Amino acid sequence: MTSTSKPQGDEKTDQVHRVLLGKKQILVTEDEPLLVQLERAGIHVEYQCREGYCSSCSVKLLWGHVIYPFEPLAWVQSGYLLACCAIVKSDIEIAFFD
Amino acid sequence: MSYSTFNRKHFDSTKEPMFFGENVNVARYDQQKHPIFEKLIEKQLSFFWRPEEVDLSTDRKDFQRLEEHEQHIFLSNLKYQTLLDSVQGRSPNVALLPIVSLPELETWIETWSFSETIHSRSYTHIIRNIVNDPSKIFDDIVTNEEITKRADSVSLYYDRLIEMVNIYNTMGMGTFSIPGKGDIEISMPKLKKALYLTIASVNVLEAIRFYVSFACSFGFAERTLMEGNAKIIKLIARDEALHLTGTQHMLNLMASGKDDPEMAIIAAECQDEMRQIFIEAAEQEKEWATYLFKDGSMIGLNAQILGQYVEYITNVRMQAVGLEAYFETKHNPIPWINAWLVSDNVQVAPQEAEISSYLVGQTDNSLDDSDFDDFDL
Repeated sequence: MTSTSKPQGDEKTDQVHRVLLGKKQILVTEDEPLLVQLERAGIHVEYQCREGYCSSCSVKLLWGHVIYPFEPLAWVQSGYLLACCAIVKSDIEIAFFD
Repeated sequence: MSYSTFNRKHFDSTKEPMFFGENVNVARYDQQKHPIFEKLIEKQLSFFWRPEEVDLSTDRKDFQRLEEHEQHIFLSNLKYQTLLDSVQGRSPNVALLPIVSLPELETWIETWSFSETIHSRSYTHIIRNIVNDPSKIFDDIVTNEEITKRADSVSLYYDRLIEMVNIYNTMGMGTFSIPGKGDIEISMPKLKKALYLTIASVNVLEAIRFYVSFACSFGFAERTLMEGNAKIIKLIARDEALHLTGTQHMLNLMASGKDDPEMAIIAAECQDEMRQIFIEAAEQEKEWATYLFKDGSMIGLNAQILGQYVEYITNVRMQAVGLEAYFETKHNPIPWINAWLVSDNVQVAPQEAEISSYLVGQTDNSLDDSDFDDFDL
């Protein structure tokens, strides 16, 4: 099930979620967007603006739930997420483009 | 149907399609069909900058020290950028304003085009600073065969749309015999198709062609050369990222049918042609890379690496507008470009170069070795 919803229910929790990427698994919190947490885990993600208008950090969202505290300016394709501003709200699986 | 600068009809513009509905009358933004365009305008205005804010005195010295084949790469790249922004500074206005039907989109088009004129002014600023006779460079843009080939492909779709809209606005629908051009059929589907392909070709220009040229500019800066130029290109890249988001929104809105159901049918029919526009542009850019590096490459960048970047960025941009990726290349061969493309106000400093927003009108680069004379370690 893939869902990307707009601001709602974005109250922060102390929860930690798993992000699956191929055979890797990264633990992320809801405190920061996905991009910085992936970078800290040593995963290279393409980026440019880091504030939601260029769509360079667009990543496939195979399943799971993310939200955007601010609706990004870039067009977010269905089945994708913008790593620079997405807050992960459940365990998710992502993939870079193939 | 002829164009009117102030349509006298009373209608609800939020019910109009983006293009080919009523001509816009009141420039009002209190109600919007697609609020995204108003947001893009606000963002673009917040980016406002002037080329003169960037000091280029060090670039002049750097340029003189470049090897001849490196000067060829730098100048050819700059000529290409000048050509692209010459087209973009006027064409969205000329081609799209006569057919736009939403006030927020009309103003986005004007804001977008205006920002391209700042880019054009910055090329003059750069060229004036690095060479004694700017005319030699500017004149070559209209005579150099490699550049004019580029000009043909970036203006083709714009020119076709403008021609068709001109006929439509004076003659209406039908088939018209135009001296020197033969019969041209004007119908709403034909006009919409010409529009869709034009936006696709503009997206290619901004999302692929520009990025290939940015890679070259930043290739010099990676070697701490021409850093003032890179600072300007960084500002241009920030604008272009926004512009390509604008065209991606237009294409995706058209294809979704949410804006104009007929446009969705046309977009579906045009998928193959649009795909071809992306692939052809990528091939042209690869050819261009060969021309740039014909006399030799530079550290960190050559025709092959730049070619791979063309393939990589083309794949990314195709997927962004719902097309399947075409090339095999899956990874960015020049990941260092991200550090240069990144907009300011984030804590990622590209190497030792200063962050451009700190520099606005504040400092110059006229630092001499002797300034360090009274430093002791």
